[in-house]
Amino acid sequence: MTDIKELQNEREQLFRDLFSGKAPKRVPVTNPATLEFAIQYYGEDLAEAQWDIARCEPVFDKFCQEFPTDTSPVGSLRLPAFYQILGSKAIVMGSGGFMQHPEVMGLMPEEYDEFIAAPYDFIIDTVLPRLYTELDAEPSKKAMVLAKAVKAFSDDWATLGAIRDRTNAKYGMVAPVVSLTEAPFDFMADFLRSFKGISSDIRRYPEKVVAACEAVLPLMIKKGKLPNPNILGFSFIPLHMAPYMREKDFAKFYWPTFKTLVEELAVMGQKVQLFVEHDWMRYLDYLYELPENTIMRFEYGDPKVVADKLGKKHVLSGFYPVTLLQTGDKAQCIDKAKELLDILAPTGRYWFQADKSIISTDSDGKVADNLRAVLEYVYTNGTY
Amino acid sequence: MLDLQALTQAVGDLDEEVVVSMLEEFVASDPSGDEAYKVVGACQQGMAIVGDLFEKNEYFVGDLIFAGELLTQAIDILKPVLGGEESQKVGKVVIGTVEGDLHDIGKNIFGSMIEAAGFEVYDLGIDVTAAAFVDKVKEVKPQIVGMSGVLTLALDAMKATVDALNEAGVRDGVRVIIGGNPVNEDACKHIGADAFTTNAAEGVKICQGWV
Repeated sequence: MTDIKELQNEREQLFRDLFSGKAPKRVPVTNPATLEFAIQYYGEDLAEAQWDIARCEPVFDKFCQEFPTDTSPVGSLRLPAFYQILGSKAIVMGSGGFMQHPEVMGLMPEEYDEFIAAPYDFIIDTVLPRLYTELDAEPSKKAMVLAKAVKAFSDDWATLGAIRDRTNAKYGMVAPVVSLTEAPFDFMADFLRSFKGISSDIRRYPEKVVAACEAVLPLMIKKGKLPNPNILGFSFIPLHMAPYMREKDFAKFYWPTFKTLVEELAVMGQKVQLFVEHDWMRYLDYLYELPENTIMRFEYGDPKVVADKLGKKHVLSGFYPVTLLQTGDKAQCIDKAKELLDILAPTGRYWFQADKSIISTDSDGKVADNLRAVLEYVYTNGTY
Repeated sequence: MLDLQALTQAVGDLDEEVVVSMLEEFVASDPSGDEAYKVVGACQQGMAIVGDLFEKNEYFVGDLIFAGELLTQAIDILKPVLGGEESQKVGKVVIGTVEGDLHDIGKNIFGSMIEAAGFEVYDLGIDVTAAAFVDKVKEVKPQIVGMSGVLTLALDAMKATVDALNEAGVRDGVRVIIGGNPVNEDACKHIGADAFTTNAAEGVKICQGWV
């Protein structure tokens, strides 16, 4: 047990160092495969298992044991009970059992002014009943639905949290405290106006879009704040719309409120981890401006250029292409990890995570074999 | 008759105000169906400009989406004067987001661009099973099947769909193109598709080369 505790302390120290700009003892490793992968890999039905998360404990235990990494892979599921009780349209289960976010619209273009005047009230009164249809009901029924949903949510997460605590105690993994928030423009796109809607709005009602982003900024800051901000916790912000915009639109609509969001969270004494989705190579100079040691997990781009431009200021991560685990052989998969280590570790600010999450398994187990080999390689050879 | 070149340019510039006012003026002049089809052609050429600017990195996906909106709006304005005459279609394409995946933005962009390029589009929607692709291919006999997906699991579903087309004996009659965030050359080979792209405008060009 003492050994495990020591291992856990050592792992925590890796992140303490990494997040405060010091090169850790070795490159910390996070598993790109998610619980959805684990459930399927160990032969459970994904759709069913997510309804009864307690029964997955043996699966998650085996997953932690057979794929050792510094951080716990237990977490980050969108468990379906909560969404189903609410009649969610914003997060729904696909036929394979994977929960996902389809294109939705919670705000109509003619409602911008009302929304801007009081965004929180508008979300409660109008947006939630549209996106969560069971809340489109009489107050008494609405209260009951909400109570049931919150109960399901807290029960499921208490179960998952307890499993995580037990597996961490057993395998010495660490689990940084994470909150989730969005860039104001992404929030407007993802839940209020849709990808399609916002892409038209910036041409049709540009000033209203700017005002709406400013109006939701305080909500996004509040959503991202950790209960006890500290160096080992971070606010996770998955970035979405910027790569799909012209730079002049990005500079006007996306960047100002996003930058303020990250700055405000950093001032509270917590870290911010960005999932830099799609290709942000056009925007590296902007990213440079964010507070020191912002964690950036890249999906695409040239790691050399990113290391040169951002490696002295920010924590870099991502880039490892998980599709290679599916299409490549073991040697190719390891070569890729080596290549990224050679480029990114010299910055002293590298954290091994992949470009995407692995959410499904293949029939011949190739992905799992390659993944195990890559994790082991980085774990053993990941020096700065 | 309106200035077709100016209309093409306005569509290319994504200048909604100018496009709408030109088209409304044109419709008010009680034009013939023939004239109306020339105007549709001018709009389609405007979409080709949009595609070029996209490839030059002057426009991005958000601009393509707005272009699709603008084209739909243009056709809606023109509908009353288009009459029943159908323009000649250059080919048929069956598209869909593959099984297990609910993301359709990329598919919709590709769908509206390839429709603007004169193809007849059969859109099967999202979370489309391999069997549904096979059935539609048997029914409409398209030249092209386009599969889309955002999640990495989409690659497995794309492979399963190509396998199903093979088993049904219809694979050789079609060209298969895959698109979306996780596709690349290796995935394309692994899946057994004929082409891949993460760029809707390029996808349209590939399809145009096939018919």
